[in-house]
Amino acid sequence: MPNLSDWTVQALQLGSIVVFAPLVTGVIARIEAIVQMRRGPRLLQPYYDIAKLFRKETVLPDGAGPVFRAAPYVAFACYLTVPLLIPVLVAFPPQLAYMGDILGGGFLLALASYSVSLAAIDSGSPYTQLGSSRVRSFGAFAEPTILFVVFVVALTTQTDLPFAMVRTLEGSTVEVLRPSHLLVLAAFFMVVLAETGRVPLENHGSTLEFGMIEEARTLEHSGPGFALLKWGSSLKQLILFVILANVFAVPWGLAHDSRLDHVAAAIGLLLAKALGIGLVIVAIESSFAKLRLYKIPDFTVGSFLLAVLGVISFVFESEFGTGDLTVFDAVSSVAAVSVLLVAFALLRSQDVWEQLRLYALSSVLVAALAFAAAGTAHGAGLYALGAVTVAFKALAVPLFVGLVIRTLEVRVRVPSSIGFPSAVLVGIALASFSFLALARLPLQSTSALPLSALAVSVGVVLVSFLLMIVRPFAPSQLIGFLMLENGVSLASLVLAPSLPMILALLLLFDVVVGVLVFVLLVQYLGVHRTSVATEALQELRG
Amino acid sequence: MGALIAALLVVPLAAAGVALLARPAAATAATIGAGVVSLGLALALAGAVRHGDTVSLAGAWLRLDALGAVFLLATGLLYAAAAVFSTGYLAQDRARRDYAPFARRYFVYLNLFAWTMLLVPVVDDYGSLWIAVELTTVVSVLLVALDRTDAALEAAWKYILLASVGLGLALLAVVLLYAAGTARLGDSYVPRYGTLVAAAPQLPHVPVQIAFLLAVIGFGTKVGFAPLHTWLPDAHSEAPSPVSAMLSGALLGTAFYAILRFFQPTAAAVGSEFPQRALLVFGTISLALAALFVLRQQSFKRLLAYSSIEHMGVIAIGIGFGVPLAVAGALLHVLNHAAAKGLAFFGAGSILRRYDTKEIDDVHGAATVLPWSGPMFLAAALALSGLPVSGVFRSEFQIVSGGFSRPAYIWVALLVVLVNVAFLGVVWHAGRMVLSPAAPQTPRGETSAWMVAAMAGCLLVVIGIGLHLPSGLADLLAHASILVSGAAR
Repeated sequence: MPNLSDWTVQALQLGSIVVFAPLVTGVIARIEAIVQMRRGPRLLQPYYDIAKLFRKETVLPDGAGPVFRAAPYVAFACYLTVPLLIPVLVAFPPQLAYMGDILGGGFLLALASYSVSLAAIDSGSPYTQLGSSRVRSFGAFAEPTILFVVFVVALTTQTDLPFAMVRTLEGSTVEVLRPSHLLVLAAFFMVVLAETGRVPLENHGSTLEFGMIEEARTLEHSGPGFALLKWGSSLKQLILFVILANVFAVPWGLAHDSRLDHVAAAIGLLLAKALGIGLVIVAIESSFAKLRLYKIPDFTVGSFLLAVLGVISFVFESEFGTGDLTVFDAVSSVAAVSVLLVAFALLRSQDVWEQLRLYALSSVLVAALAFAAAGTAHGAGLYALGAVTVAFKALAVPLFVGLVIRTLEVRVRVPSSIGFPSAVLVGIALASFSFLALARLPLQSTSALPLSALAVSVGVVLVSFLLMIVRPFAPSQLIGFLMLENGVSLASLVLAPSLPMILALLLLFDVVVGVLVFVLLVQYLGVHRTSVATEALQELRG
Repeated sequence: MGALIAALLVVPLAAAGVALLARPAAATAATIGAGVVSLGLALALAGAVRHGDTVSLAGAWLRLDALGAVFLLATGLLYAAAAVFSTGYLAQDRARRDYAPFARRYFVYLNLFAWTMLLVPVVDDYGSLWIAVELTTVVSVLLVALDRTDAALEAAWKYILLASVGLGLALLAVVLLYAAGTARLGDSYVPRYGTLVAAAPQLPHVPVQIAFLLAVIGFGTKVGFAPLHTWLPDAHSEAPSPVSAMLSGALLGTAFYAILRFFQPTAAAVGSEFPQRALLVFGTISLALAALFVLRQQSFKRLLAYSSIEHMGVIAIGIGFGVPLAVAGALLHVLNHAAAKGLAFFGAGSILRRYDTKEIDDVHGAATVLPWSGPMFLAAALALSGLPVSGVFRSEFQIVSGGFSRPAYIWVALLVVLVNVAFLGVVWHAGRMVLSPAAPQTPRGETSAWMVAAMAGCLLVVIGIGLHLPSGLADLLAHASILVSGAAR
């Protein structure tokens, strides 16, 4: 097989993106239509659209200036440059890849978006301005998210080249299971959803101006310029997919040399990966509703949360030796981090039933960790602890509290005294504090679980405390307390798996007694007041 | 001697059983009996350990030393006094239609509450200590909510929320201390006080320090350290007055005892400077906050609650000074505060029953309206403020002179200034209530001789300690302070 020259490889990287991007858009639209029981457009429809627009004349809005006219070309040029910098087909960096690092790629994407926004403002149309102001304000959390994602890449590889990330991940498969890696993967996926205008942020291809975000910016464009913008947006989508797949999620199957057949296989795999991501997106678009506009910051701040947790958990993980990460360590760390994420989900949830389910989920996770610890080293006592945890915390307590809430017929909606974005920012500060405080704890690691779970569990305790503060509503405060208890249980699993068994059982007993007293009080309160809100406590403040 | 501990833990339970099954009159009698017997047992046990011995039971799962005995005495005293006082206090409720169930709940919970507080000083390991303190919360919450008024329920709710969070942190402290101990003691051991104090010099520093701070914050929530004190004024003012006396006089001290048990291994592991500094900071913040809030109170029960926070601050500062004189003074202060605060809350209960209000402005001429309780309430206020002749003067004097000998002039100066601010507030408010001319339509006379008797008992203790410190008590305090500060050497 012939070896391709470096320039040919480069051209193929760029060419496969440019040529196949509209196809990916068409395939996703078609599959989505089929899933939703519609016939849908032809697979090649995006190509026809672009070709048609190139033949049309350009109509400029009144007063639109050079900025408006230049924007499509600037954006398209940016999208043409980025594929040179990222591993599209090959795992080794071709010559031009050294032009810019991963941050440079990010800047180019941002520049493209910025020029389109400027053009939208220049056009003077209210709808396009609406779109660009929405993009800017919702992007306020997307940009720091991308930065933090980049930080993790940089920390992992000690460079800022996306190609280095591929090598690190290919070197040891277990690295993919690192909590930090999974967190930034999830964060980046959420950013991709936001940047490509997908549900739950935006209905792709909707014609309703008031719901538009990304799409609204290009309403005033026409002719070849509009064709470039449409083509550009499918390029951007495929570029983001490539970064998601080849840098984070599945960096396997790239060509390691420039042999023709290897590169050709990589092209096929590229399409398959893009199709896979497309299927996930179709699944999301078909099963979730669009968020209300005011709730979109919840989504973007959620991705920011994941990215920040990714960074801080990475910084801490490196404390216990990056070299010998085992699958067990990775999976149990992920379970521990999931408990922390459940605590954050509780902060967002506004429904008592959902909160109860989330609490039960966290109990299951804690029990699973107890079983895991029992399996590795510490024997029968921990099996019993896990079983009791499932029985009490995941089943009995949620059912009982649910029963009480049902009998009292309290309202189910739980207001929060501060919004989710602010609560998350405070929560991030608390979690970072716990990571900082416990990062260098010189304990003899006799524990069966990785020590990073200790910092996570203290984070759970603090976030649960925050939950109790921001929800002046008795059942939610009770759930916050129970969640706090879960954090403490997790900490004791890490620190003292051999704590005398009787003591551990007594602790569980204590939880039950505590719950009984809580429930008793809720009942009293329910008898005396129609609502169980504790707002009246404010009057007692001395 | 172990049988005494067994008896101490059986008697309140028996009284609770009687209260559950028998009629209110029998419950009253059983409670008084249990209270007095418990006080006697506490005195006997304190006598047995006053030379530094220990008394143990049940394979050493239960053990009492001189330090525990100090807190046992405070609880015993208030249990007996509150039992006597309750007899008169509840007599007025007899007309209520639901008197029988109300009295049953009251006496069952009261005896259980006393039992949990008597349990705390006699357990011998950190796990049981935490469980015992948690049990005191569970029972006392029910007592705070006993009146079932909106305010009482909300106070109880606030109390259990904050106390639970605090105990969650305290549990973390226990677990962390245990984990620190594994470095020396192996993977699986019973975290007894003695074991950990003995192993302390070899323990890693940072986990022990974090554990101590968590314990100060966690148990400190129950002690009433600022800024986690916010539940305390509500709970103490909404509970029935005899319960307020036990909450304030005995329970706060009991929670402080838990902190002292963490103080011992921490001082032995990382040197006494760190834990002392932490207690000085928390104590001074609480003292400052309480002193300022005392000035602007409108309800006399809340006034007393803030005064409790103030005195817990004084005790923390006394331990923080670290010299044996100040530590012994702080431990003596626990006893003095128990007696004086019991007296004050009993007096507040009498006034509340007569005037049917908690507002300072609505109480006039308590000295003429209540010929015994009124003056004794004022005496309690003066005693709490540390006037000479009262025991509080002796203990505060010891703390201050200990601070001078350390020397820690700035902390002493803060202590003296803030205590005087609180003095001003308490005496001014109490003086207004007691000495102003009475409204003519207020009925005169004491409501119950039982109540006067309980108050007289507490007053006797306060004055007695002030006039002459019994040699047995001096021995006990000396050995207890060696346990705290000696471990620091």
